[in-house]
Amino acid sequence: MSPGVLDIDLWRLSLALVFSLLAGGCSIALKLGLGRDILIGTVRTFAQLFLMGWVLGIVFAVESPWLVLGLFLAMAGAAAHTARGRVRESAVHFAWPMYASMAAVYLVITVTVTGAIVHAEPWWKPQYFLPIGGMVLGNSMNSVAVALDRLFSDLRARAAVVEMRLCLGADAAEASADVVRTAVRAGMIPSINSMMAVGLVSIPGMMTGQILGGSDPSQAIRYQIVVMLMIVGATALGSTLLTLIIRRRCFGPGDRPLLR
Amino acid sequence: MSHLALAGVSFAHPGGRPILDGADVSVPRGSFVLLTGPSGAGKSTLLRLFCRLEEPQAGQVLLDGQPVSGLPPAQLRRRVSYLQQTPAVIPGSVRENLLLPFSFKAASGQERPDDAALTALLDSLAAGDIPLDQEAATLSVGQRQRLCLARSLLTRPEALLLDEPTSALDPESASAVLGAAESFCLDQGGTVVLVSHAEFAPARVAPVAYVLGGGRLGPARPGGGRPS
Repeated sequence: MSPGVLDIDLWRLSLALVFSLLAGGCSIALKLGLGRDILIGTVRTFAQLFLMGWVLGIVFAVESPWLVLGLFLAMAGAAAHTARGRVRESAVHFAWPMYASMAAVYLVITVTVTGAIVHAEPWWKPQYFLPIGGMVLGNSMNSVAVALDRLFSDLRARAAVVEMRLCLGADAAEASADVVRTAVRAGMIPSINSMMAVGLVSIPGMMTGQILGGSDPSQAIRYQIVVMLMIVGATALGSTLLTLIIRRRCFGPGDRPLLR
Repeated sequence: MSHLALAGVSFAHPGGRPILDGADVSVPRGSFVLLTGPSGAGKSTLLRLFCRLEEPQAGQVLLDGQPVSGLPPAQLRRRVSYLQQTPAVIPGSVRENLLLPFSFKAASGQERPDDAALTALLDSLAAGDIPLDQEAATLSVGQRQRLCLARSLLTRPEALLLDEPTSALDPESASAVLGAAESFCLDQGGTVVLVSHAEFAPARVAPVAYVLGGGRLGPARPGGGRPS
């Protein structure tokens, strides 16, 4: 048993399945048709988290910066893939620029936090780098998906105005400036709103983990503050950069709009 | 030399029938072209090719003998101004809408017209009674169409591409818009290409009539047949 943490053995872990059964019971009683999803979700939760625990155990033991970076890039790829799946647009190809931008932006932010703020030694120390990187990726993935979905839908909905500006001598950036602003705002607002509610509605995830792990709450809140600010910065930078890069791909040669 | 020209241009929308199939057209500077044809023939697409809002699959679109694909797009679209069928305005006043073209990099160094010049321009389009401070979104379709034409004229284009400019207008607004197009052609030496699905007889200019249909573009025959 780790100091300060109560271990959960496999028998008691399996007791948690009661909650899945409860959800499945609701689905059956109310004919919600969610039984299959609840079953798959439960199996995936077990499988994915056991897999992650196994991988993290190896990464923590090996302590290789290349392994840490490789795992981070794989997580960034999964985040970009998930975000891509949430965006309903097929006329513009943006998967690869999205992967590359997300990996680059969130790597820089994670390195800044572990190296300059947390002062982990070395900066890639997996116990710090991977959880913090995961939080950056998980939150920014949502903001990027929201921003891009808004970009594409607004470029279609406001195609006549974008085209009108082009006809008056605007370039693609000038013609779509307001659409970009709206998209970036949509991506940033959830993380800003979460700063307003933090500590009032619930004890946030990282802080919960540290408190359960026996940390002093005064230290746990410091980590949580860093995480909240880091997420706001990451969503702002990620939404802005990806929206600007992918906006460019919504126009063909001669600043010709591709979405109408 | 022709002002606007198509040289062997072919175009089809993805999965659609050909709109143009090796079309050759030459529009001299200062001429007034009336383009007719059945609905869905691709008349608007033809206008959009001239200002590079569409790219041909084959052939070249030329402005003063130069391929439009070689010109900076913002400069091209200020020289060849396309007025959309449905007038589009931005949120804000009539004045803000009229001055919109001056907010773009392509207009850097150009002097913004003052209120007196804007009112005089609107007056020439029989819209002088529209207050410059009025919200553009509250204007009628006819007033918006005249506002948009005035805004296009403020970019000092060499050619005006007018896409069904009078289709949704009352007779007074339609007469004002067509009169302005004729003045642009006669008084300023500009080229006009006007798309209309209806018969139309300008009062002051003798238009060159073309018909687009079935993938072919050519001079209209007396009686209104398709080009051979």
